[in-house]
Amino acid sequence: MGSLELKSIRKAYGGHEVLKGIDLEVKDGEFVIFVGPSGCGKSTLLRTIAGLEDATSGSVQIDGEEVGHVAPAKRGIAMVFQSYALYPHLTVKDNMGLGLKQAGAPKAEIEERIAKAAGMLSLEPYLARRPAELSGGQRQRVAIGRAIVREPKLFLFDEPLSNLDAALRVNTRLEIARLHRSLKATMIYVTHDQVEAMTLADKIVVLNAGQIEQVGSPMELYNRPANLFVAGFIGSPQMNFIDGAKLGDGAAKTIGIRPEHIGLSRDGGEWKGKVIHVEHLGADTIVYLETETVGTLTVRLFGEHRYAADDVAYATPVIGSMHRFDTDGRVVNSGP
Amino acid sequence: MKSRETTMDASALKRPRRWHILVFLLPALAVYTAVMILPLIETLRQSFYNTVDGQYAFVGLSNFKVLFGDPRWAADFWNALRNNFVFFLIHMAVQNPIGIALAAMLSIPKLRFSAFYRTAIFLPTLLSFVIVGFIWKLILSPIWGVAPYLMDLVGMKWLFAPWLGRPDSALIAVSLISVWQYVGIPMMLIYAALLNIPDEVIEAAELDGVTGWSQFWKIKLPLILPAIGIVSILTFVGNFNAFDLIYTVQGALAGPDGSTDILGTLLYRTFFGFQLQLGDRSMGATIAAIMFLIILAGVSLYLFVIQRRMRRYQF
Amino acid sequence: MSKARTSIVRTGAVHAALIAYTLVALFPVFLTIANSFKSRNAIFREPLAIPTPETFSLIGYETVLKQGDFLGYFQNSLVVTVVSIALVLLFGAMAAFALSEYRFRGNTLMGLYLALGIMIPIRLGTVAILQGMVAANLVNTLTALILVYTAQGLPLAVFILSEFMRTVSDDLKNAGRIDGLSEYAIFFRLVLPLVRPAMATVAVFTMIPIWNDLWFPLILAPAETTKTVTLGSQIFIGQFVTNWNAVLSALSLAIFPVLVLYVIFSRQLIRGITAGAVK
Repeated sequence: MGSLELKSIRKAYGGHEVLKGIDLEVKDGEFVIFVGPSGCGKSTLLRTIAGLEDATSGSVQIDGEEVGHVAPAKRGIAMVFQSYALYPHLTVKDNMGLGLKQAGAPKAEIEERIAKAAGMLSLEPYLARRPAELSGGQRQRVAIGRAIVREPKLFLFDEPLSNLDAALRVNTRLEIARLHRSLKATMIYVTHDQVEAMTLADKIVVLNAGQIEQVGSPMELYNRPANLFVAGFIGSPQMNFIDGAKLGDGAAKTIGIRPEHIGLSRDGGEWKGKVIHVEHLGADTIVYLETETVGTLTVRLFGEHRYAADDVAYATPVIGSMHRFDTDGRVVNSGP
Repeated sequence: MKSRETTMDASALKRPRRWHILVFLLPALAVYTAVMILPLIETLRQSFYNTVDGQYAFVGLSNFKVLFGDPRWAADFWNALRNNFVFFLIHMAVQNPIGIALAAMLSIPKLRFSAFYRTAIFLPTLLSFVIVGFIWKLILSPIWGVAPYLMDLVGMKWLFAPWLGRPDSALIAVSLISVWQYVGIPMMLIYAALLNIPDEVIEAAELDGVTGWSQFWKIKLPLILPAIGIVSILTFVGNFNAFDLIYTVQGALAGPDGSTDILGTLLYRTFFGFQLQLGDRSMGATIAAIMFLIILAGVSLYLFVIQRRMRRYQF
Repeated sequence: MSKARTSIVRTGAVHAALIAYTLVALFPVFLTIANSFKSRNAIFREPLAIPTPETFSLIGYETVLKQGDFLGYFQNSLVVTVVSIALVLLFGAMAAFALSEYRFRGNTLMGLYLALGIMIPIRLGTVAILQGMVAANLVNTLTALILVYTAQGLPLAVFILSEFMRTVSDDLKNAGRIDGLSEYAIFFRLVLPLVRPAMATVAVFTMIPIWNDLWFPLILAPAETTKTVTLGSQIFIGQFVTNWNAVLSALSLAIFPVLVLYVIFSRQLIRGITAGAVK
């Protein structure tokens, strides 16, 4: 219970098209993340699924049922908002119970479901409080609890972690991952943070300018990006892009190599260059190298390395790690 | 609009009619339109009609011609219009500078008792014209003698005169009473504007050596000009719509000798009649139309000229 | 605040000026109330003195309560003001919600149309308002006043409330929609409780001109049974000009409710003026 199918969803405000024909299938129990730069249409797409926005054309099906003009509350979904959106004048308990009460669920059942959700999120001590008396992290848990209580077919998350500080963000991320495993529910999650996407998703949908660039598991996107945009968006530090002509590769306009797929040596190698900056992160060392033949390269070395600015070094790509793209930015599959 | 014609799915996502928008708007629209807008339009329309030979008929601009030029009307009308402008100018010249000065003093940081001063000075604004009018009538009355007594304390008793009863001073006296009542409004609005100036700007001025008076003139005043503009237009609309105070203090005839007659009192006498004069609906509507035009002109001048030119600063 | 930026002399001068103006503002009110409790002789002999056991007298209040139906006037004012405020708040908030929440054709135009009444005084339509009330048989009823005051208060209420409603989080309203609240429930149960402070401000702003108005009671409802306090005291004082005790007592009675309300609401009112008025 909880599959979703989108067919050529389009959305335009006046003459401006925000979604340019989105087709997507989400299977029951999947954790799908929409990721993309701001303004790419990911939030609009999520709100269209929720029914908060009407698509200009196209169809939305939940469990095989067309919900194009079904009210949000009747779609069997629950949503967690970026700003939490708790009702400030209701207690935590009433916040969680309002949806069920509105649907006319029996009191005992509401109580039971709230108790269960509160247990999962360790919210029991706060049930009688109002949102103003909670910390940011607690509010976020209440917002998630409110979604759980509804036992929806689809969970929708709209950048739920972006208002939290770094430490809390990691914790909540773990909590959401745990919830997904224990509830076995279908979840759709919007974020602009590719780390969140990589760590949580079964399936990532990369959106750009109102279109889907690629759909795949995190490792598929990492290992086999379908185009330049995905290659550049997934992975940090960003993939190096080299003009194909400089490497004498006639078939590829651009060649991409991930920073972690380049070896560095003081003694000799493929490309000679001068170190312009080094970032020592402990587990990694990031070296920025100005090469003579292929321009500036970012190189990610594991562990500590004693490079410093102005050092001379030689970079060598790992065999078989190059991504080759044609003039349209699409990947060329006749790799070496 | 390419997307519009793209194949609408069979289950076209047509929105159901959003009746709730209408439900939310309807009560306000109905009352506002029925009681305010339609009567206003109807009043304007009636200013073009009058009774000719016992027949109610369209007379074009002749009501206005009568008002401006007919000896029975013109003297009263021009007198009221002139008085109204004097009334307005006194407010601009006295009420607003006092309001700005009070606001400037109240906005001094960490001034003690400033909340008390603010509350006390704003109090008269809340009183009705009737109360204010009568209180001042009593205070200025030579019979009671409070005003001469107080002036005697500062050695100015010789200056006292029954100001409200003299044609040459009555309008000024009534205007000042109105100023006394309303000074709280410019004070509050300008006080708010002054509070909106960020501390950093003032501190920067202090560091640049701009302090005291020159700080007020060079830094604060330019930043509160928009608020002064709002105060001015509010004063304008209020003054050209005034009636109650003069009716209370000087009666419907706005004496002595019509010296305090303004458009509001003229409208009242014309429309409803007073003592021997009979009420005249058409001429009443005509005066209301003139007041409407004056206020509309003032508001338009403010909205389209003054407000557009005024620079607003984003803090 | 550093010492370098303040001087005792300057602060002293500022306090002197403010105290002087505060006296100017409060003195007439004080004078009226103090003298209303004095005997006729004392009023004239020592107008500035506060009442003492020898000069204390309630004769003015006795006259007022015997001669005029002040309790009735007061009740009329209260009914007119309370009902008008309730309607202004309800209708105004509903319209403000429609304008701030929904995108529909003519939204901006509708906003401008409703804002027209902020600047154009309703009095200018008096000629036709009276005709309309005569036609509807509403002259000398409180209903006529309530209708006029509701129309008069709506423009500013819609303007202020829609500014405030724009600040209510969209996520919150959408959360309500997902929880199955109808648009009406979202308005009444989510948005209204959140804009309560703004409603209080609007209520105070609406109340003052209604309570103090002389024009419409004089024109639409001058009958003895429908007189408001403002009109009632105006007429009463006109009749009793020479009875100073009665006049001063009537004035004090008219000031009293305003004074009480001001003491209760002054914070709300001043915060309202200083927050939203200047943009």
